[in-house]
Amino acid sequence: MTLPLTPVWFVALPLLLAFASPLWVRYRLLMPLLVGTPALLLLLAFVLLPEVRTGPLLETIVIAPPLGIHLQLDSASWILVALISLAGLLATAFIWLSDAEPYLRDRRAFVFLLLLIAGCNGMVLTGDLFNLYVFLEIAGVSAYALSALRRDASALEAGLKYLIIGSVAAVFFLFSVVLIYLQTGQLNMAAVAARFGGIPAPMQLLIGLLMLVGLGIKAELFPFNFWVPDVYQGSHPVLAGLFSGLLVKAFLFVLFHLVFLLLADPQVAGLWLMGLGATTMLIAEVVALRQEDMRRMLAYSSLGQIGLITLALGFGMQATTAGGLFHMVNHTLVKLLLFLTAAVLLRSFVSARLADLAGAGRARPLAAALFVLGALAVMGLPPLSGFASKLWILKGFAEAGVFWPVALILLAALIEAGYYFRWIKVLYDPNGDLKAAAPVERMAYVPMGVAAGLIILLGVAPFLVDDLFIEGAQTLLDRGAALSAVLGAGS
Amino acid sequence: MMHAVVDSLAMIGVSYVMGFLFYGFYRQLNARIQRRWGPSIWQNFFDNMKFFFKSETLSHGPMFFFGPMIIMAGAFTTVLFVPFLKDSTWLQGFSQYGNLILIIYLLVVGPLGNALAVGSSGNPFGVMGVTRGLTRLMGLEVPFFLGLALVMLQHETSSVHAIMAAQDGLANWGIVTNPVAFVVILLPFIAAQNASPFDVVGAPVEVYAGPRVEFGGRLLGVLMTQNMMMSIAKLVLVVDLFLGGASNVLVLIAKAFSLFLLTTAISMVFPRLKTEQAVDFFWKVPLGIGVLAVILTVWLPSWSA
Amino acid sequence: MSAMLRLLFFVVSLSPTLLLVTWDGSLSWALIDGIRLHLTLTPLAGFFLTLLALAAPLVALPMLRRPCDWPSLVLYVLLLLGMQLLLLAGDFVSFFVGWEVMTWSSYLLLLRSSRADMETSQSFILFNLASAFLLLAGILVFFSLTGDFAIRSLAEPSLPQALTLLALFGLAFLIKVGTLPLHIWIPSSYDQAPDAFSAFLSGSVSKMGVYGLILLPTLFPDALASFAGRFLNGPAFGYLLAWVGVITSVVATFKAISQEDMKRLLAYSSIAQVGYITTAVGVGSSLAIAGALYLALVHTLVKVLLFISVAGIVLQTGQRQFKDLGRLIERMPISFFGVLIGIIGLAGMPPLPGFAAKYLVFVSLVDARWLLLLAAMILASTAAFIYCYKLIYAPFLGHANSPGAKEAREAPWPYLVPQVILMGLLVLFGLFPGLAIDVLIDPVLVGLQMAPIGAESWAKLTTVYGGYDGVVLMLVFGIAFVLVTGLFLLLRGRMRRAGSPYDLSFAGEVPTADTPLHYGAGMGRELRRIPLVGWILRQGTRGFYLGLAGQMRAAAALLGNLYVGRPQAWILIAVVVLAASLAARAMMGGL
Repeated sequence: MTLPLTPVWFVALPLLLAFASPLWVRYRLLMPLLVGTPALLLLLAFVLLPEVRTGPLLETIVIAPPLGIHLQLDSASWILVALISLAGLLATAFIWLSDAEPYLRDRRAFVFLLLLIAGCNGMVLTGDLFNLYVFLEIAGVSAYALSALRRDASALEAGLKYLIIGSVAAVFFLFSVVLIYLQTGQLNMAAVAARFGGIPAPMQLLIGLLMLVGLGIKAELFPFNFWVPDVYQGSHPVLAGLFSGLLVKAFLFVLFHLVFLLLADPQVAGLWLMGLGATTMLIAEVVALRQEDMRRMLAYSSLGQIGLITLALGFGMQATTAGGLFHMVNHTLVKLLLFLTAAVLLRSFVSARLADLAGAGRARPLAAALFVLGALAVMGLPPLSGFASKLWILKGFAEAGVFWPVALILLAALIEAGYYFRWIKVLYDPNGDLKAAAPVERMAYVPMGVAAGLIILLGVAPFLVDDLFIEGAQTLLDRGAALSAVLGAGS
Repeated sequence: MMHAVVDSLAMIGVSYVMGFLFYGFYRQLNARIQRRWGPSIWQNFFDNMKFFFKSETLSHGPMFFFGPMIIMAGAFTTVLFVPFLKDSTWLQGFSQYGNLILIIYLLVVGPLGNALAVGSSGNPFGVMGVTRGLTRLMGLEVPFFLGLALVMLQHETSSVHAIMAAQDGLANWGIVTNPVAFVVILLPFIAAQNASPFDVVGAPVEVYAGPRVEFGGRLLGVLMTQNMMMSIAKLVLVVDLFLGGASNVLVLIAKAFSLFLLTTAISMVFPRLKTEQAVDFFWKVPLGIGVLAVILTVWLPSWSA
Repeated sequence: MSAMLRLLFFVVSLSPTLLLVTWDGSLSWALIDGIRLHLTLTPLAGFFLTLLALAAPLVALPMLRRPCDWPSLVLYVLLLLGMQLLLLAGDFVSFFVGWEVMTWSSYLLLLRSSRADMETSQSFILFNLASAFLLLAGILVFFSLTGDFAIRSLAEPSLPQALTLLALFGLAFLIKVGTLPLHIWIPSSYDQAPDAFSAFLSGSVSKMGVYGLILLPTLFPDALASFAGRFLNGPAFGYLLAWVGVITSVVATFKAISQEDMKRLLAYSSIAQVGYITTAVGVGSSLAIAGALYLALVHTLVKVLLFISVAGIVLQTGQRQFKDLGRLIERMPISFFGVLIGIIGLAGMPPLPGFAAKYLVFVSLVDARWLLLLAAMILASTAAFIYCYKLIYAPFLGHANSPGAKEAREAPWPYLVPQVILMGLLVLFGLFPGLAIDVLIDPVLVGLQMAPIGAESWAKLTTVYGGYDGVVLMLVFGIAFVLVTGLFLLLRGRMRRAGSPYDLSFAGEVPTADTPLHYGAGMGRELRRIPLVGWILRQGTRGFYLGLAGQMRAAAALLGNLYVGRPQAWILIAVVVLAASLAARAMMGGL
């Protein structure tokens, strides 16, 4: 029997493996499968790559029209799928190799992690609004549950808060889907897009706003992102890294996918999103200046980068969009690296507070060095990958002759330097009195090293991948091609 | 080669003789103004020789010894880089290898070398004196150099020879063609000569608390010699720049002496200033005149053109 | 293993030299989306590469002394690579990449010091990154005008464009060279950096800003002259820059005099020296650029020499304050000569090359008819004598004032070898002032399409305003010195060494070991009584920048209040934003 290599596997494989989890417990395959699944998906993504580059892969499973599962793997969503798999691989490898806390290694964590991957993949791939809602809930619910896995007050609080705000977001989104269905009678995105222009303008606005609030909460845009620091701080750093690296990116992608698909003229919406992105970026970076907890600081920094990506994608030019997509990838790698470092430091010194980490660089030189690397990359300093993507974005703006985002991005980077270098300085503080460090599994550094290696590689030789992002940006921006691919030419 | 050696020795000799005669005269004049008889005009020479033949000299280590040697060598070098005569092959030294800015800097090389010796002596009062000297230098050099720069600009060269050559005839003397520059440098020049009213660094009261506090015997003799020679070098320099230079030694002595009389007359009249007062004065009055001169002679012509 | 690695490190530190010798042609590396890095070597960059090649191995030597700090060595290698990339850059992207690599690696090197505090390291990195980001902004503006990143002159930019570029690039480079009022990061970071590395920071890293400043006018060769016209005999815009440089020199010189720490004094002196260079760049004539390059050369040699000497003193005595040192001349004679030659070069005294450099700048100022600038520059360079004297008196002369100073031994050879080499180079360039002109500076001037200075012979420095002969000068002085000393020793009478260091004319009293006899700390203090100097010393920008940092933190606190931990507030905000947007739209008549 030959298994057809189709995009379905990106959703189906993690789902199936997750639901069969009792079996894996019995055969002691939990950890290998946890790491193996994203690895397999990554492999699959690369196997499908040549095909995707020639044209989008569509897959439709009709249940009852208009209900059905509609998956679409094109150059843009391929980037996200590969990214999700890669991030999942690194995070799960860290959980396995670092001999992480038991609650991250049991069956529930296994199920939720795989569901998270499945949900994110589904969201990115789906071409159907209702599917999107379902996947959004799958990813969301697993994220809430993951937050609360550790059974102590802070984790439960984080989980509960996440649950509340996530549900609200889902409700907003659901409203917008319902309204769209009422107005157009369609749920297939391409079909909706074809008729979206026919909806009365006020209703368009209402739908747009509902969707913006719903996805804005999920994608952590200002002023809907006040929940982020609490949740990231309460969750295990690895999970926070996953949320920041993979979940948010998926939501962000969905948001822009919808904007570029539904709106014939995304200029106005793009400008608003740029404004939101810029505000998010500046406010988050400024607030991060005063954070004394590493997880919280990373959460704000993550918000800042999300703002930057929003700013870049909202501009809707090919160079900025490609740069924005590239920056998504880089930010995922970097934030994952930083959160994993935070996990190592938290493990070593029990606390992630600034004051308790003074001089940690001596006890954990490798972790501190990786933190420095990550910090340099996140600030966009060459020759690391963050620089390449930022340069791409900035070049896009400069080409278009629009300079206010350039100024804001550079200002934000400067503010960002203000706190990252403060942390670096404290990590290498020669006078810090440090508690004895708890041991950390040496293998835990392997996934971090891989991330670091990728950051350096993508920084020195970004030309290896830039075609992918250019194609991704073209696909994302080319509304006509997307519509005709689904609906057939002439529609 | 032979010419250079003889010429150099002649320059050193001339400046030494002029030095002790001028200072002998100064002591005479000073005494007469104060209604004393005063020492003979040769007294400085006698004093100098007496120091040189002292039987014992106290030293505070090698650097203490080399300091006076450096300042003496600096004085010789300075003298040799100032052309004493114009249109002559004699008393030129090595001046064609130098220029005005170099001479100004050479004036300082020696004293700084000696400052090392003062520091090496370990006497804090000596070092205090050096600091005062350097502070005064900081004050006087600004207007002094500005005045010289006006001259350099006027002749568009920093070569003393060229500046001298341009002043053929009384009407072309620097003091006639560029009187403001002369006014600007006059007071700093007096200070550079370590004369009253800017003589706080080497004043008699500072014998116990000045740069020379630790020196005695032959080393003090060296310091005295270089002081006299350096003074002559500076006088000749100003003669070269503003009084048209001199074509023979007698004219040189006459011009230098008249300039010396002028500065002495000013010195006799004014009481001594504290270091910081002196610096403040230089930055207000001579420098102020200098700025005015720049505006008048450089800015305005260029704007009206 | 360790020895091999150290050898490898030393070889890498020679890489600028190797590059200089072997580089021919160009190299290209694709980056992203059509952006390519082009590496070529222009004559101007070649000059600065030479400076780097001089300094890099000499600074590497002291760093190699056991016990080695391996991370420092790695970072130093990165720093060197970054600087070489910066100098080889044929396009702005590689320029920026090199610039940034240099910035962060030097920051991380600064952190290797146990004395670096938070304020210093933050000000270092934030100022340098601000410089880098301004540079990047300028690069992007440039890119939007030309459509690519190549470093070349801009054809006919409009006035606003040229001004924008000038402001962005100019600020970036001025921060790096540290002119007033952007210098605040320099003194404390040069002071607190690892001792050997300070030499590199001052000697080489600051030169990259100079490189930028000289490069900048070549981007718009005509625009500069045309849009602001000429003032007297030079470009009016340069007049402004020249004043910035000169004011920097004056203020930094007085600040240097009032310092009580050797490295801080050197740091301020470095600011002052670079101020002269800025002035010369402002004048912009061929003489002035030659002077700027010459100053850069001398400053590199001198500052590396002085910082390494001082590093040796700190290493051997454990003291860095002037009041705690003294009388090291007998214990550290080679270091004494190092500092002596260093300060002669620093003060610009003949016969060392510092004079040649200053001479060129002075003459160029006279040539431009900018005499007031000349006067201000004279003020700075004469006042510099005071701190130069302080720098040699307080550690080496006077009385030893601490146990460390009393028992110190000569610095180890990794500190002495660079000093001896640098002293030799300084004397060489002093003897042959035309050598540097002929070999190093004229090719650059030709490359910049300016009139070369030209040198009749290596011994002579020749300008249209006259010149001087280094060999004759040195010979006359040397012969005079020998003669004087010989004659003196021929005289009758004997020299007697003082019985004890306390055998002094001390106002009729006999000082003892308890008498405060070392004047190291107090020197220059009375300068405050001069009104102008007192006023300058009372000013400072630290308060302003601290205030700015405080405002940022206050803003952070204020905005941080938005991030409350109550879900009901989050939901409320979401709903309110939705409602408000709809309402706003309705008000505007959309619904």
